[in-house]
Amino acid sequence: MEANDYKGRVKPSWCPGCGNHAVIMALRKAMATLNYQTHETAVISGIGCSSRFPFFMSTYGFHTIHGRALPVAIGVKEARPQTNVIAVGGDGDGLSIGGNHFIHAARKNPNITYIMMDNEIYALTKGQCSPTSRIGTTTKCNPYAWTADRINPVLMALSFNASYVARGYSGDVKQLENLILGGLQHKGFAFIHIISPCVQYNKVSSYEKIKELSVPLPDNHDLEDRANAMKYAFSSEGLYMGLFYKTERQTYEDRYREIIKKAKSQSCDNITVKDVMKQFQ
Amino acid sequence: MKDLKVKISGTSGQGIISAGDILSYATARKGYYVTTFRAFPSEIRGDGKCYYTLRISENRRLTATGETDILVCLDETTIYEGLNKISSNGVLIYDSELVTELKESREDIVIYGLPLTTLAKELNSERSRNMVALGVVVGLLKNLNLEEQILSDIELRYKLKSQEIIDVNKKALNIGFEYACKKLVRKDIYDKVNMQISGAKLIMSGNEAIGLAALAAGCRFFSGYPITPATEIMEWLAKELPKFGGKMVQCEDEIAAINYALGASFAGVKSMTATSGPGLSLMQEAIGLASMSELPVVIADVQRCGPSTGMPTKTEQSDLCAAIYGTHGDCPKIVLAPMNVEDCFYQTINAFNFAEQYQVPVIILSDASLGPRRECVDLIDLDNLKIVNRHKPQLKEGDIYNRFEDTPSGISPITSVGDKYGEHVITGLEHTEANAPTPAADVHRKMTEKRFRKLETATGQFSKAKTYGSEDASIGIISWGSTSGAVFEAIDMAQKQGIKVQALYPRTLYPLPTDWIKNFIKNKDVVIVVEANYNAQFKSTIVERCTHINRGMEVLEFLKYDGTPFNPEEIYDEIQKVAKLQKDKELLSTNKHTHF
Repeated sequence: MEANDYKGRVKPSWCPGCGNHAVIMALRKAMATLNYQTHETAVISGIGCSSRFPFFMSTYGFHTIHGRALPVAIGVKEARPQTNVIAVGGDGDGLSIGGNHFIHAARKNPNITYIMMDNEIYALTKGQCSPTSRIGTTTKCNPYAWTADRINPVLMALSFNASYVARGYSGDVKQLENLILGGLQHKGFAFIHIISPCVQYNKVSSYEKIKELSVPLPDNHDLEDRANAMKYAFSSEGLYMGLFYKTERQTYEDRYREIIKKAKSQSCDNITVKDVMKQFQ
Repeated sequence: MKDLKVKISGTSGQGIISAGDILSYATARKGYYVTTFRAFPSEIRGDGKCYYTLRISENRRLTATGETDILVCLDETTIYEGLNKISSNGVLIYDSELVTELKESREDIVIYGLPLTTLAKELNSERSRNMVALGVVVGLLKNLNLEEQILSDIELRYKLKSQEIIDVNKKALNIGFEYACKKLVRKDIYDKVNMQISGAKLIMSGNEAIGLAALAAGCRFFSGYPITPATEIMEWLAKELPKFGGKMVQCEDEIAAINYALGASFAGVKSMTATSGPGLSLMQEAIGLASMSELPVVIADVQRCGPSTGMPTKTEQSDLCAAIYGTHGDCPKIVLAPMNVEDCFYQTINAFNFAEQYQVPVIILSDASLGPRRECVDLIDLDNLKIVNRHKPQLKEGDIYNRFEDTPSGISPITSVGDKYGEHVITGLEHTEANAPTPAADVHRKMTEKRFRKLETATGQFSKAKTYGSEDASIGIISWGSTSGAVFEAIDMAQKQGIKVQALYPRTLYPLPTDWIKNFIKNKDVVIVVEANYNAQFKSTIVERCTHINRGMEVLEFLKYDGTPFNPEEIYDEIQKVAKLQKDKELLSTNKHTHF
């Protein structure tokens, strides 16, 4: 498969210069590297600019409702575990309205990849503050100042015990491709936080600004050291980029496989509904 | 005596529900008809009261409310609560060591104050008082020959616990049984109980019937969030689904639960969730998504008193409007209302079949009186159930597949994740036949019509209405769901008094069952709409749309909204009142005639 084989029927409708263009290119390349079959792959999103993503792919796709990409994605994965499942969406979708699902997806550790394109703003509704907007930001909704502190998605993912946590930004497609490839290959819940600048509504976090702030994680960083990963995520010295944390533990599917095995071992072979109905006789 | 009610009551934690369950299983397994009514508080222990009523009968009866024939009280409060609701010649059994002197009494019943605590202490197990009391009941009803069945049921029920628990319970039961048979000086009439047993049958709760049907319909994915009184469905499927390679997934909330189910359905697996009112409210947006993206999914709503948290363990039929109209937008879906436990099974089979065939969300409206109650169900012929699977297109390489192809029936062939050449994107946005999002006026009009056409062209294909009573009756009752047991019995009572009544139960509530209602009311002079809610939701949103075809007809409502289910007597009283009014009117009009 080539990256272009994953292009959907609809051309990306994002603004020229939008960070999401880089993300979709990186994902298509990573999928091509792994030779993902389009019918075996599902891209699931919520609502927002970045959530238009599935329309631009040739795989199965589900553009769901605001905040619910993760539960739908996990539903696909649990019902059909051989599927390659990729959840995509923005900061408002995943951290505000869908924040609760992020916690529980991480701790359940389904073998899916979650790509969050963070532009620090609600862009589809024409520029309101999001959970990652900076305090003091002014928008039409906050003409004087935005009044809540930002949240740190990487730190959240680490504290929720996501088993793969990375950060990249749209200015570095090569690194994005590597981080996404690693996420797709990772067995478990892979969270990739991508700073994806909005050229229309967010003049603060521009490509230049993010490039200036970004610091690569040191080469000798121990990927299994969660506390240390948190320190980097927490750092005020710069915006660390790269793979923060990676560990292998049982996936949600593994755990269910065991449950099914246990249930089957306690019942007769080739059980039928008739056998089950006997309990009511 | 062919029909009697036994009620066991006490404080939460005293084993009331266990005792009632054991007795109801044994009665059904022995071959009698049994139906039950359980009432329990939200608290697990503490001061809440538990009540378990069983109606044991020779013929099928589906209500267990109203007067009790044998009342067993394991605490003091429930004695005075229940004393006036014992039938004449009935029996009250209480623990004479707990209550040394009754503050109230009745002359027309038999009262047995028994040393239940001492009897239980013989086993060093005061907790076994429930089993001792149960043994007494089995002894009083010795003619039913339940003792052996009940002993083997105790063994079955506790086999996963320990032999010690089995032994203690069996001994306790025997102590009570022996006491009633040998020591008790009988003054009651229940030694004359005599009922024929009929053929083999099943006993299950409404919630279990929904779970069993889901399994039989091919459902292999359930996602849910615990909520009274629907949790039993997820508990049952959690136990059974994995045996078939399926999964019950517990989610972080109801929003996640339905979205998991939609994901599973997108992956081609029949899926469902179950909830009660608060959960249904949370699920509404995703129900709209299922409707818009044309994904099959089944939602069981075991209604309870609302609004808000309401009364979690009490029954009401007040989610009807939420089920039919709750989602924003023009949202095609199917809403079914099973009439009893057996119907819970068949309507759930229908729900999956309709969801698959019409690619819509299907809501099953059960309630807190139907979900937890155990009832006898006739044997189910699993081999001859009709099971429908979604219609897949035949695709080959190079084919262009339009997921939402506008067909004459409105139904478009559907592929699922994993199907080759069937890749597509679905969305809650309005979209073209080729699944491209668009805000174009003509597309929205056309696709809205397409989605509704699926249901419109299928008129008559959904669950059929049921009628009961005389066709030539001038008095009609229109009702839905769990009220059927009480309504049918009330009709029988009226019939015996020479009052003809016919009832209509449109088991499909959406698409609106207006044809059935119009046909039913054609020859009625008066119709009473019976439902358990304050706003007369069914009457005002559906029945009143049909009354123009019989303008002379009166439409009355008989509503209940106190959290308890209807009992036959109160419906019968209403029928009598209405019949009398009708008679008076007739007289009045005849008198008028003679005047002129």
